[in-house]
Amino acid sequence: MDLLPLFTGLENSPLGVFVKDKGATFALIEAVHLMALAVLGGSLLAGDLRLMNVMLRDVPSRKVTDGAHTWFKIALIVLLITGFFMLSGVAVKCYHNQYFWIKMSAMVIGIVFAFAIKRPLLNRDHATLRPWTLKAVGIASLSVWLIVAASGRWIGFS
Amino acid sequence: MNSLFLRFAAWLEAQPWSSDLHSSFYMYNWIESAHVLTLVVSLGLLAVVDLRMLGVCWNDIPASRIAKRLSKPMLLGFTLMFLTGILLYAAIPVRTTQSIWFRFKVILLLAAAINAWLFHRHMNASIGAWDTAPKPPRRTRFAAGLSLGLWASIVICGRFIAYDWFDCGQPGNSVFVNWFAACPVDSGS
Repeated sequence: MDLLPLFTGLENSPLGVFVKDKGATFALIEAVHLMALAVLGGSLLAGDLRLMNVMLRDVPSRKVTDGAHTWFKIALIVLLITGFFMLSGVAVKCYHNQYFWIKMSAMVIGIVFAFAIKRPLLNRDHATLRPWTLKAVGIASLSVWLIVAASGRWIGFS
Repeated sequence: MNSLFLRFAAWLEAQPWSSDLHSSFYMYNWIESAHVLTLVVSLGLLAVVDLRMLGVCWNDIPASRIAKRLSKPMLLGFTLMFLTGILLYAAIPVRTTQSIWFRFKVILLLAAAINAWLFHRHMNASIGAWDTAPKPPRRTRFAAGLSLGLWASIVICGRFIAYDWFDCGQPGNSVFVNWFAACPVDSGS
């Protein structure tokens, strides 16, 4: 399925024209996107490094991951909204950018992993889970989101 | 003071490694990416601490424990972010020195550092009374909110440095912009 007409339509839409014509709007949205990325990163680092037994070892992992998940969800919503705004201004460029597709693929994997695998698993009593299972979840989660952040950064360079 | 900064920036820009850094596609972009990723680590963990101090998250974990356990990785992130920031400055020193956004950013960074120092001192002196309280005292919440506000402004200014809206020589720059950016008198207004 060719998605190019969809991307072209988005860039030519009133939203795309607004974002493209108002440089300051794009820059401000970029900054909010970056702040939300920091909050998402902080919630992931706190929760996943606790699962890996690297940080906050004297705090029950359930307490850390529950709080982290709340802020992960808030940051993710802000990231998706601001990301869509940013995309609308440069949709055709993104369509032809391989790093954009790497980021989108990694993001979908990250979201599915967070809500379909990680959360249901961590909703259980952590004491009943094997330590290596928790570690593997933490490593997988951090790795996927690191790819999302790094490939997102590279979109602007290529 | 301004002429001293500008002379230093001009000297830096005259160094071969400064222009090499700027013109090297991969080196510059790797440094910029590292700057953003270390920002995610440092500001992300700072947000965790500040949200706890605001009393909006991790309320069942003692505040001092969160602050102490996250301080080392947070400081490591800040150090790397600072170092990569210096390299980014060194790659484009003159334009950056004359950027009003860079100047705002430095002022805000100093304000954030002073707030962090005062916050740390206040926390160490009083934490025993509210360590396990879900909602810390008003002064603590104010300092945490200020910290988040200052860093949000720092991120915005940092992002805006890349844009040339108020660069010296831009037609329509106000007297304030030319003064604040210390633009040369003949750079247009």
